[in-house]
Amino acid sequence: MTSHIATVARKDFADAGRSKLLWGIVGLFVGIVVIGYVAIWATLDDVVASEALGFLNFPIQVVLPVAALIVGYMAVVGERQSGSIKLLLGLPPNRTDIVLGKLLGRIGVVVVAIVIAFIVAFVLSLVLFRSVPFTDWLAFGALTVLFGITFVGMAVGVSASVSSRGRSMAIVVGIYMVFVALWELLTAGTYYLIYDEGPPVEVETWYLLIDQFNPIFAYTNFANSLVDGGIFPFQFQYGLESTEAYQLTPAERYAGSGDAPFFLQEWFGIVVLLFWLVVPVAIGYYRFQRAEL
Amino acid sequence: MVAIRTSGLTKRYGDLTAIADLDLEVREGEVFGFLGPNGAGKSTTINTLLDFTRPTEGSATVLGYDAQEEADRISPRVGVLPEGFDCYPRLTGRRHVEFAIETKDADDDPDDLLERVGLAPEDRRRRAGEYSTGMRQRLAMAMALVGDPDLLIMDEPSSGLDPHGIREMQELVRSEADSGTTVFFSSHILEHVDAVCDRIGVLNDGHLVAVDTIEGLRESIGGGATMTLTLADADEHARETAASIEGVTAASVSGQTLECSVVDPLAKATVVTELTRTGATIHDIRIEEVSLESLFTTLTNGDSERAQRSHIASEDTTEPVTQNPDSEVAG
Repeated sequence: MTSHIATVARKDFADAGRSKLLWGIVGLFVGIVVIGYVAIWATLDDVVASEALGFLNFPIQVVLPVAALIVGYMAVVGERQSGSIKLLLGLPPNRTDIVLGKLLGRIGVVVVAIVIAFIVAFVLSLVLFRSVPFTDWLAFGALTVLFGITFVGMAVGVSASVSSRGRSMAIVVGIYMVFVALWELLTAGTYYLIYDEGPPVEVETWYLLIDQFNPIFAYTNFANSLVDGGIFPFQFQYGLESTEAYQLTPAERYAGSGDAPFFLQEWFGIVVLLFWLVVPVAIGYYRFQRAEL
Repeated sequence: MVAIRTSGLTKRYGDLTAIADLDLEVREGEVFGFLGPNGAGKSTTINTLLDFTRPTEGSATVLGYDAQEEADRISPRVGVLPEGFDCYPRLTGRRHVEFAIETKDADDDPDDLLERVGLAPEDRRRRAGEYSTGMRQRLAMAMALVGDPDLLIMDEPSSGLDPHGIREMQELVRSEADSGTTVFFSSHILEHVDAVCDRIGVLNDGHLVAVDTIEGLRESIGGGATMTLTLADADEHARETAASIEGVTAASVSGQTLECSVVDPLAKATVVTELTRTGATIHDIRIEEVSLESLFTTLTNGDSERAQRSHIASEDTTEPVTQNPDSEVAG
């Protein structure tokens, strides 16, 4: 049996490419990059190119997850609701082809937008700061692509799991809320319930492991180690953690002697991002295989 | 060879039984009409054949493959016109067909197929989002024809088409059947099935109530025809003559007309010759076949007498149409 994943992905990408969605997102990212670069160049004096690149971290970590979730949340359920999935399944592609093809197609949309934004950043860096921190730029760009893919995966996974657009949207919004607004309540709040006090700066290792499983933390922690900037994850703060703790990475908060274990190192963020890519897609795949259409 | 076979196929949604213990067989090369009122379970059956839905009990095979376990082997050889589908609004009609050709690894010319289903060249370049229901139906039909399938499964193919479109669809079905394709299609309108089908299966309330040729169904219900003869002198003698002929189940006289219910087609000629032989002068003959619509109503109501009466009553304007539930509600 030949696989139709690539055919479905190409069609999905072509379809998305004709929508305002792709171009809206490309425009948004390019706009962020342009405004960011020009503003830094115009307002701050002794900024070097690598610092300017680092400043992009903040708008990207806020906007990219939202954009990627919007790109993905209708991927499968949208076809289910409109009925075009019957046209598709009546042809040789099967459900596996649909989930994976849709995932690739939507990843393509987000990756195109990120790549264009980073090319613009490259050009602006050259024009405004007369240099490009090439390896930083490349590593940061690659990490950002993975970050975008992770959130597309989450959204496509959700869209394959549910039977209505409304449910997909509700779950996707919920996921974003958990990562941005509720994470501290879930982690530090749990710690508080167990120990009757908020987590100290030098806290138990298990807590750090769980706390850093937020994909946005994973991205910013690793990005900070790749580029200059000192940008911290965007999240609602409830004061359960000490002010100092907000500024530190898991490795810096490690209480034990010697180096922090590998799972608290910045690069472990890659594993966290892959986790949030694979698990939702696997759940969506499993549920969609069993769905009644 | 059998193209489609269901064995004890049952689908329940909670307390609701959509199809119950369905045993159906569609032979290779035939055009099979799957008939039933809306909500009878036609789409559920078809959705099971296409693995959109999984049976609660029983199983189905399509082209010899299990519809659930071996769905991937089925789809390359089947053309599907689903019900309640939508197209990709941003892609052109032509791109849809190209996509179908790509997935089926076929070498069809998209324009040939779109020509066959009657989608005009300027429409093929338009986005499918601008299409009318009928155009979408034609487009899906073109996609179903890609790769010269061995079996066409069509759910309510005539929906959204005007009478002209329906005729074209029927011609298309006929020509596919002539080239050896098995066609299985559902409809809730009997005349759409009547024109093209070799056999029909009637589904009502999840149960298969009849499977036969249309002639066979007519016969088995004893519908036959009504002969109305206008005689120069219609009398009791003529009535007795007619009633005594084999194949005539009833005869009655009123004024100049003699009305006979005929179940055997051969009896019609006998009625004429016998009446002439016994000295009657025939001015006029009118023959009315029992309409397929009433046959359908009879089968799906499960109460033949009421259905027959309802049919007659609705044609006779002098009688109040008390059997029509709609008029009761309206009144």
